[in-house]
Amino acid sequence: MPFSKLDTPAVARTLSQIAEQPDDVVDAFFERREEVELAPEGEPGGLRVWREEGFAVRLSREGRTWLASRDEVEAKPFAEALRQVARAFSSASYPEPSLEVAPTGPVAAPELPEFPAALSRAVRAHHVGFPLRIALRRHRRWVQVVGPRLVPGPETETFYSCAAESSWGRYGVLLPRLDAGAAEEIAAAVVALFRARQAPPPLPFRGAAVLGPSAVAVLLHEAVAHALEADTLAQGGNPESAVGVAMAAACLDVLDDPAAAPEGVRRATDDEGAVVVRRWLLRGGIVEQPLADALWARTSPVLMPGAGRRGTRHLPPGPRSSHLEILPGEASEADLLAGSEEGLFLPEASRGALDPLSGQFALHFPYARRFRRGALAETVGPCVLRGRVADLLTRVVAVSSEARPAGAGWCAKGGQKLPVWATAPALRLEGVEIS
Amino acid sequence: MSVAPLLDEVLRALLKRHLTDAEAYVKRGRSRRLERTAVTESSSNSQERAWAVRAGNRRGSFFAAATGDPAPAGPWPEPVAGNALELPEPQPVPAWSTPSDFDTPLIGEREGLKLLESLGRELEAELPRARVLRAVLEDGSSESELANSRGLRARTRNRIATLYIEAAGPGSPAPTASLYVAAREPHHFHPTALARRLADRLAVSASGAPPERDTGDCLLAPVIVARLLAGLLPLLVGPGPGSRLTGARGRFGSDRVTLIDNGRLPGGAFESPVDGEGVPTREVVLVEEGLFRQPLLAWWQESAAHGEPSGCTRRAGWRDQPAPGPTHLYLKPEPRTSVSALLGAVAQGYYLIDVTGPGRFDLAADRFALPVCGFAVQSGRASAPVAGAWLCGGIGAFLKGIVGVGRDLTFHPLDGMIGSPSVLAAGLELRAGPG
Repeated sequence: MPFSKLDTPAVARTLSQIAEQPDDVVDAFFERREEVELAPEGEPGGLRVWREEGFAVRLSREGRTWLASRDEVEAKPFAEALRQVARAFSSASYPEPSLEVAPTGPVAAPELPEFPAALSRAVRAHHVGFPLRIALRRHRRWVQVVGPRLVPGPETETFYSCAAESSWGRYGVLLPRLDAGAAEEIAAAVVALFRARQAPPPLPFRGAAVLGPSAVAVLLHEAVAHALEADTLAQGGNPESAVGVAMAAACLDVLDDPAAAPEGVRRATDDEGAVVVRRWLLRGGIVEQPLADALWARTSPVLMPGAGRRGTRHLPPGPRSSHLEILPGEASEADLLAGSEEGLFLPEASRGALDPLSGQFALHFPYARRFRRGALAETVGPCVLRGRVADLLTRVVAVSSEARPAGAGWCAKGGQKLPVWATAPALRLEGVEIS
Repeated sequence: MSVAPLLDEVLRALLKRHLTDAEAYVKRGRSRRLERTAVTESSSNSQERAWAVRAGNRRGSFFAAATGDPAPAGPWPEPVAGNALELPEPQPVPAWSTPSDFDTPLIGEREGLKLLESLGRELEAELPRARVLRAVLEDGSSESELANSRGLRARTRNRIATLYIEAAGPGSPAPTASLYVAAREPHHFHPTALARRLADRLAVSASGAPPERDTGDCLLAPVIVARLLAGLLPLLVGPGPGSRLTGARGRFGSDRVTLIDNGRLPGGAFESPVDGEGVPTREVVLVEEGLFRQPLLAWWQESAAHGEPSGCTRRAGWRDQPAPGPTHLYLKPEPRTSVSALLGAVAQGYYLIDVTGPGRFDLAADRFALPVCGFAVQSGRASAPVAGAWLCGGIGAFLKGIVGVGRDLTFHPLDGMIGSPSVLAAGLELRAGPG
């Protein structure tokens, strides 16, 4: 742990000097990051390594935030950053606490060079073979937050990102570990893209759609998590007024629980040092607890902190989801595909977008499969599910009884790129528009 | 202060490890970021200090980058087999004097917030009940220095400011619009002009409708042409592809089309005497009066296509691998033609003022579709607002159908800075959907 020798009590004492008002939010955020990438085939720089460390000091008061960040963890720049954010006595010199951090060691990522071969084997096990361009990266992050009154424990995250590109499309995913299961997950996805390569897109259609767990994760990340972030809600009015609103069908229970994320990315505290909570975003389709960080939680007793995240130390934190959990229902796979009408099964979403003001939503799928009379039928090409969030979420009629980790990916709201994780079951929606 | 001795020491240390090809790069930067939303305000002050090293030999290579200063002793990653690393030889750099505005200090907190506030006021003055949802001003400057094992040494400085604005108009659902602009200094952002541009777009979006399908002369605002040029970049950068759109006599566009890229464009946001690898930049004419001259070629692509290479390898930051791309690519303006003269020449057609979303480019099928808004025009006068429309056509047909070019050259931060004046084009189609 790089920050184990950091003199956190001294940092806390120094921070307390700039927290002059009872409601001031003051903290120091120390981070170290390491990314190791195996260069995609044909590109120079066989192994690529990025290492960075630094800190940010922040003061938030009455809706205004001042932040100063540096690319080093040293006493003098720390005192200088404090001076920059302090609102009173900014010409004062602050004490320079001892900021000793552990040195970085040699780079070792033996698991990376082995994975492309494992992935090729997994693809061949599907009785197909085609060229695949793989970008594979290991992400590690160490975080230590210090407040004037509270010093939470350090946090670490380790995960992998993989993008597999073929002539028929790209599949990108985040993985908590690189193992045979990860290779099979990617292989199945790229083989599905290959098998759908000549499928024509479906004609515009209104009817039943069954979303696979990965697609559900993307849908609910955009339509529930982003929609219930306190800063997004504030664009349309008072965030706390969302509480109690019936936003989705009664069968939908959606939580954000960073402590239940896959091992390696599980968090006990957020990027502001607040303890994370098992947050019911929707209970029975009704909004219960929007996502809030320390700053938004100060604006209303209804909002709880614990969802503050930082994509980088150079930007202030914001309320974001970490690990969405959609509770399973009671429907079997046969129930989801049942009925006399024809429908579309949408296993994977490539991307989603929400306009927070209009509530208009679009979810893009690289391919889909028709289903009729309870059975999956032919594959169709790319299509888009569109609608207004409020309308779309009320159209959920059944939730699968089996939830699984799915839909992990990057979210880049406001230029802050963050990994997001999910555990989700499949859903059936009725009367939705797909074109 | 120069870090050349440190870079030399790093190169020597790498050579001792038998890494005969090596490049060391150091960057120092500082930036101020100011953000205003309806309810929050933030001010960030960041200082970056980081380096990047590329090194290799016949057997393998690596890329390593980190914050702080590079330690000649490492730890360095082990090179991994892959494509060999190629580095440029030193070349004489034509005389260049550092622009005086590189020395101006970053915008102050009060001044920056005042600029953002005035945007909101100006917008409301232009369009009552319109409001700025989010405005972000970033202002930064940096110095970089690099050295490679071939003897190349280069020092560069950069200064750039960007402004992002999201706004909502009156009504329900409220129309929204956003703008992203860049300049060397924040003083080049004129709140009144920017507010007018946003207000025009919001007003048109609120009241306009798309034509079902129509053709006619289209006067395209600079931002629309810039977006079209950005979509064409795969045809203009690197060896080979440019010839795809040339006719039997090498004709790429009408005789009004002259496309230039210039890394040392005076006043340009990325003006620099050398590129991201230390190779001298210069003006390169890619298309001259409609005739395709050459693609944009990096030094290592010299023999791969007809044409003279130039310093066009961009390095956005210390985390990024150098890659070829345009710096200031623009359609040459016609100084004698005003926009009103072009508008007056439209008997029946459209004046399209802005792009409202991401476009679709199918270079293989020679088709594009771009969501736009503007006005229907009759006898040189606006007759009705147009919104939700898609400008569609063939890429070759667009370039060959350019019948007039204005003098209002404006650059937009897209893939590099892409510039264009207003353009009068024939043969394009306006539709209600992308087709």
